[in-house]
Amino acid sequence: MDRLEPLSDEARAAFARHGIWPAAMLVVAKADLSTDGEFADTWVVLTDQDLAVLEISRERIGQSDRGRQLREPGTSRFVSYSISDVERLTAESLPLSGILSAVVNGSPVVICRFTNTQARKFGIFAKLFGKVKEGKELTEEDFKDERSPAHCPKCGLLYPDQERRVCPRCLDKRSLFLKVLSFAPKYKVQIGLVLLCMVAGSALNITSPYIRGSLLFDQVLAPEGKYAGRILEIVVLIGAVQLLALLIGIIQGRMNAVVSARIVFDLKSEVFEAMQRLSLSFFNNKQTGSLMTRVNRDAERLQGFFLDGLPYFLVNVVTMTGIVISMVLLDWRLALLVLLPAPAVVYILNKIFPRLWTLFSRMFRRRSAMNALVNDALTGRRVVKAFGREAAEVARFGAVNEGVFAVNVETGLFTSTVFPLINLLMGIGGLVVWGYGGLQVVSGGMTFGTLMTFTGYIAMIYGPLEFMTHIVDWWSSCMDSAQRIFEILDAVPDVVEAPNPVRMPSIKGQISLRDVTFSYEPNRPVLHRINLEIEAGEMIGLVGHSGAGKSTLTNIISRLYDVEEGEILIDGVNVKDIAVRDLRSQIGMVLQDVFLFQGSIAENIAYAKPEATQAEIIRAAKLANAHDFIMRLPDGYDTVIGRQGYDLSGGERQRLSIARAILHDPRILILDEATSSVDVETERLIQEALSRLVQGRTTLAIAHRLPTLRNANRLVVLEKGRVVEVGTHSELVKMRGVYYNLLMKQREALRIRGVAD
Amino acid sequence: MDRITHPATRRSLDEYAQIRYLDPSECCFKKTEGGFLSLSIGEKEQYERVDLVRAFPLSDSDSYISVRDSEGNEIGMLESLSRFSDSTRRLLEEELGRRYFTPVIEKIRSIEEEFGYSYWDVDTSAGQRRFTVRRGHNNLVQLGGRRVLVIDVDGNRFEIEDYTSIDSRYSRLIESLL
Ligand SMILES: Nc1ncnc2c1ncn2[C@@H]1O[C@H](COP(=O)(O)OP(=O)(O)O)[C@@H](O)[C@H]1O
Ligand SMILES: [Mg+2]
Repeated sequence: MDRLEPLSDEARAAFARHGIWPAAMLVVAKADLSTDGEFADTWVVLTDQDLAVLEISRERIGQSDRGRQLREPGTSRFVSYSISDVERLTAESLPLSGILSAVVNGSPVVICRFTNTQARKFGIFAKLFGKVKEGKELTEEDFKDERSPAHCPKCGLLYPDQERRVCPRCLDKRSLFLKVLSFAPKYKVQIGLVLLCMVAGSALNITSPYIRGSLLFDQVLAPEGKYAGRILEIVVLIGAVQLLALLIGIIQGRMNAVVSARIVFDLKSEVFEAMQRLSLSFFNNKQTGSLMTRVNRDAERLQGFFLDGLPYFLVNVVTMTGIVISMVLLDWRLALLVLLPAPAVVYILNKIFPRLWTLFSRMFRRRSAMNALVNDALTGRRVVKAFGREAAEVARFGAVNEGVFAVNVETGLFTSTVFPLINLLMGIGGLVVWGYGGLQVVSGGMTFGTLMTFTGYIAMIYGPLEFMTHIVDWWSSCMDSAQRIFEILDAVPDVVEAPNPVRMPSIKGQISLRDVTFSYEPNRPVLHRINLEIEAGEMIGLVGHSGAGKSTLTNIISRLYDVEEGEILIDGVNVKDIAVRDLRSQIGMVLQDVFLFQGSIAENIAYAKPEATQAEIIRAAKLANAHDFIMRLPDGYDTVIGRQGYDLSGGERQRLSIARAILHDPRILILDEATSSVDVETERLIQEALSRLVQGRTTLAIAHRLPTLRNANRLVVLEKGRVVEVGTHSELVKMRGVYYNLLMKQREALRIRGVAD
Repeated sequence: MDRITHPATRRSLDEYAQIRYLDPSECCFKKTEGGFLSLSIGEKEQYERVDLVRAFPLSDSDSYISVRDSEGNEIGMLESLSRFSDSTRRLLEEELGRRYFTPVIEKIRSIEEEFGYSYWDVDTSAGQRRFTVRRGHNNLVQLGGRRVLVIDVDGNRFEIEDYTSIDSRYSRLIESLL
């Protein structure tokens, strides 16, 4: 945030009236809502004595027809609190807006309201207030907000998508295009040839009507012509030109197909590589599945553009220029007449096509909605059947199908009216040539051959016009695709490796958390000031209600996310300084939802260590109590699992992921609800496997059922993101605090279910 | 602040699973000087600040409203706003309106579309506002009939009560974005 947002004149005067001068202001922030919840300019100013709020309601245009009471424009409300009276200031995120709240002399007070747009700003403001109240100096560092909404440096526009940081207005399509072309130099020769073919093809295209018109009628067929009567030769010439054009076309097409496919292939491989680099939060934001399909779609669109769009465009430009020049040379008056309707045609096409694209895109979207629905219903058919929802699904499909039908009809009606009209328009040029040219021929002002040449050109010039009006759209949508692709290629992973990372090929496994605060979203801290020392080889059980922040704690230790405040040390080194490779290779996770990818069981076990021998894989499976069930499968370790493969049970999946972790052999092990949702016998098997796995490693175990943590050296109890109790099971039971309550509640729940332990 | 209460853990499981519906005749909501809502239930229970949370913000915004204390623990639920007196209901509606800040778009000054983003300049029930909407990603949601919810890049929401009744230029644009 800015330290001092520039005050409006009105605000400066109002503050001055209350004795607050700009020189005394430490922080100035503008909120965009009034306390009544209308858009307004609300200035919140912090001096070393006071927290002052000035609310200026905005001028409103017209009367609200919703019967709200409107204040006079420009009325202001001024409130000031002495900092010593304000106990604490908090930025709170309400569902669809935010407030800066305070406790003043023991009572809660709303200081100001703001929209989500300003949530980060006031989060920082609240922190700054804390510092000022403690009498500390504010440094530039305090104002830094790495995640703050960024503006386009060129035009000042707030980036529409903060994750992308792309200003659509200033997006330089030309340089993007050059960037795409930067993948091309490898294929210099081929591209040179393609271009050569294009020019040659255009030249042949232009000469063809000339040969068939002027040359044929005026020089060969006319008795006084230069080559009168040499029919055979002219036919051979026409044939040869056609053949040559065909050949060139084939060569160009084939070469182009290969080159553009290669370029797009290179692009896609780079994208995939880049995606592996990026952190989790990138994917959280973009939804991996849709990201991958989008990359594919974008790449295909680019390929289409390079394969069809660009060459056709270039050929057309060359051809059209050539034709115009030839026509002018042949007969400039007729040329002018022929080109007269062209602007009108372009104008009308420009009007019609946007409507057509809207229709097409709506059609596309409705169809994909339908596909998604069908897909869901099929993959989820067990759920559908289990809940007896078949009829409802059919009804849902009916509704969507109807939408598709409606848009299909609309598009059909539109196109079948519009296209004939366009054809008629384009026919006008031909009529002009026949009419005016015919008269000229009759009066002897023009030869019949020239007339024929012109009619040939007419067809060639109006045909591509339609295409040319749409190339602009095509081009910008392609550059948008290119942009999205480069965005991934160029994205800086937000868990960035330090410039000189500390290599730690063998970690001991001692972990310290110092004053760690973390939030996924602004003003909603999930962990508050966590302090924790974990010895190497110690097993810690994390306990707490769901949503307490247990998984989050493990996520930040393994640096899937970076913390904003405080630090996490492993063997005394800040995780941010450890080489990411070393960190990842020595932290292993066994999670509740096990990710199995399409492939054999062996491949899945060896995921973190692809070079593992078969014996190693089997040993790991045996330790994980997975060997026996694997051997019961007809294909054993080669059984293909994953989306389209064999369906494993929850417990089996979990044991596979334990085998995976055993093979991975990490120094720090994270078990996040690794034994939930399995039956008692399976749990025993998993427990047994886990107890072998945790030997000699630092382990953080999260378990829903508290008895599962009885092997832990210490238990850490989290509540609403805070560590509230730490100790062994018996210590915590003696304390009769949160842990004890949780334990009692679980026992009670078990008793109710009749399985008291 | 670091004082921690565990009402949920202290109560028995049965109690824990039960929703407490607050009786309108016993509840007294007031707007405090600090701008929050306070609540007293009967003689004994007093809350200096309560927050209201809708259970069905889109489909049924006036029913099943959770009343929470300043720690975020549920005090109870209001079954329906219609069961309160007019003045209390207005108070609750205003508070909800501020929390679920969703200005109604009354007039569209302009919408410009560029490269998958649209830039809106509108008059709303809460004043004039400019915002940017990303194309796709369900940022324009049809809420049954002609009601449309517009979600900008910051997650702010705006509502159009009937998109067919606005300037035909824009209603067609909006339709194409749906
Ligand atoms: N990726 C995320 N983005 C935003 N909020 C999240 C994310 N993951 C978890 N949270 C929130 O953080 C809080 C703690 O979650 P978590 O650490 O998963 O709890 P636990 O594992 O103790 O059940 C929850 O309120 C949850 O909604
Ligand atoms: Mg969890």
